[in-house]
Amino acid sequence: MRAQFVLQEIWIGLRRNLTMTIALVVTVAIAMALFGTGVLLKMQVDKSNNYWSDKVEVSVYLCNKLSANPACQKKEPSQSDKDAIKNQLQSMPQVASVAAETQAQAYQRAKDRFKDTPGFSDTIQLGDIPDSFRVKLKDPKQYAAVVAQMQGRQGVDQVINERAILEKFFKILGGLQWAALIIAAIQVVAAVLLVANTIRLSAFNRRRETGIMRLVGASNLYIQLPFVLEGAIAGLIGGIFAAVLLGFSKVFLLGRLTRNLQFATELGWLDVTQVIVFSVCFGVVLCSLASFLTLRRYLKI
Amino acid sequence: MIHFDNVTKVYSHQGRPALQGVNVAVEKGEFVFLVGPSGSGKSTFLRLILKEERPTQGGIHVAGKELNKLTNWKIPHLRRRIGCVFQDFRLLPNKNVNENVAFALEVIGKPRRFIRKVVPEVIDLVGLEGKGHRMPDELSGGEQQRVAIARAFVNRPMILLADEPTGNIDPATSIGIMKVLDRINRTGTTVVMATHDAAIVDAFRKRVVELEDGRVVRDQSRGVYGQAYGGV
Ligand SMILES: Nc1ncnc2c1ncn2[C@@H]1O[C@H](COP(=O)(O)OP(=O)(O)OP(=O)(O)O)[C@@H](O)[C@H]1O
Ligand SMILES: [Mg+2]
Repeated sequence: MRAQFVLQEIWIGLRRNLTMTIALVVTVAIAMALFGTGVLLKMQVDKSNNYWSDKVEVSVYLCNKLSANPACQKKEPSQSDKDAIKNQLQSMPQVASVAAETQAQAYQRAKDRFKDTPGFSDTIQLGDIPDSFRVKLKDPKQYAAVVAQMQGRQGVDQVINERAILEKFFKILGGLQWAALIIAAIQVVAAVLLVANTIRLSAFNRRRETGIMRLVGASNLYIQLPFVLEGAIAGLIGGIFAAVLLGFSKVFLLGRLTRNLQFATELGWLDVTQVIVFSVCFGVVLCSLASFLTLRRYLKI
Repeated sequence: MIHFDNVTKVYSHQGRPALQGVNVAVEKGEFVFLVGPSGSGKSTFLRLILKEERPTQGGIHVAGKELNKLTNWKIPHLRRRIGCVFQDFRLLPNKNVNENVAFALEVIGKPRRFIRKVVPEVIDLVGLEGKGHRMPDELSGGEQQRVAIARAFVNRPMILLADEPTGNIDPATSIGIMKVLDRINRTGTTVVMATHDAAIVDAFRKRVVELEDGRVVRDQSRGVYGQAYGGV
């Protein structure tokens, strides 16, 4: 097999159908970028889900002087009331553990968390965040009963279920993921049709050459390889563009998402690289296969 | 070298057969003219030898191979032992003479050194010395056909098939083409040539197989084009 000859044939083929090649590259790039983004979002959701599932808690905030809830009457519950609430929580079958957090601890935690934004952390005052119970559930999904019993109980200001907030966030991510995957699937169909058309045109343009090749006894591999590689190279160029787009996706979409919504763990570049490699390979294989199947119809033995 | 054993070829089920019960044996080194009116099955006969078409009935042996048993995978190897020339030359317009001839070797993966050695030899053999760098549109029809013959012969095939090679060429130039084919035949290559050219058949006095409506109606050594067409 003479590499130079094959490369020359591919180059001629790609150049002759330049507009088709460009359309193909763009379609493949978009398809693979969206596909990769969908996969990245899925990985992000799974990873965050794993990370948070044993950390989410139901927080029961007690009344204090600053409570806006009228039922509190701006009064802090007595120590015995607090103990009663704690006992009630501990006796519930869904609850795994209960930890008390005092105003002072909460204040320190908020200070630490927002230490990078001094303007904000300076305005936090001791007492802004009331005493609370952090309740760990045996099964994070079984929060409804706990919330129902605590909500409106005397001495309780509000019950915040972190799980519900997380779920909203995961729902948005899940929606994005499916949107990306569905559009990617449509683009993949478009890419396959474009490959078929490009290769058909290429086979038609080169029918003289292939006719002679058949007659002088060139092997099918030799006749078909330039066409299949033509598809593969278009797929590869598209895949490289997709890789760049996926890099942007990681930095601007996932990066921003995880930074703004503080409770997501960010995917590393290793994960992203895996997705990129997988997307590029998928693009190349898809285009090569589409070329090969098209050829079987248009080049007879 | 080529054996047709009761071969029938039907293209479409309604139509009449293109070939019907054909028995022909061509031995190594023979030169055979295939004659007959238009539509009598000459091109079909040649295509069957290349396994471009399959016989509806009967068996064909080419170069010791039974074509019915030849897998698709092996067809290219069969075709490497057979050279082909056509009425319309079939040269690649964007390649010069050398490149057109070399193409036939490049696509079967021959090494470059070998190609550089044999291409000039065969170009000399067909009488195109010094014209290796011309493009096809800078050559006369006769010269283009010589390039096509060079390309068909460059891999030293055992068989050369020619389908009306002089069909687009004036009589004087045709004689030159025939001399080239004769020279190739003298190297031991079997030549089968389909033609309508009575003058050439009569002048060369080789074996003549005449087809009519897909049947062999005459098989004559040192024959002429045929009484029906005003031969000798
Ligand atoms: N691919 C095909 N499909 C269907 N019928 C065909 C095909 N090729 C040839 N035929 C028919 O087979 C018959 C023989 O055709 P063929 O081309 O072998 O004749 P020929 O002797 O070469 O004629 P000519 O001298 O005009 O070249 C004709 O009736 C033709 O219409
Ligand atoms: Mg014919």
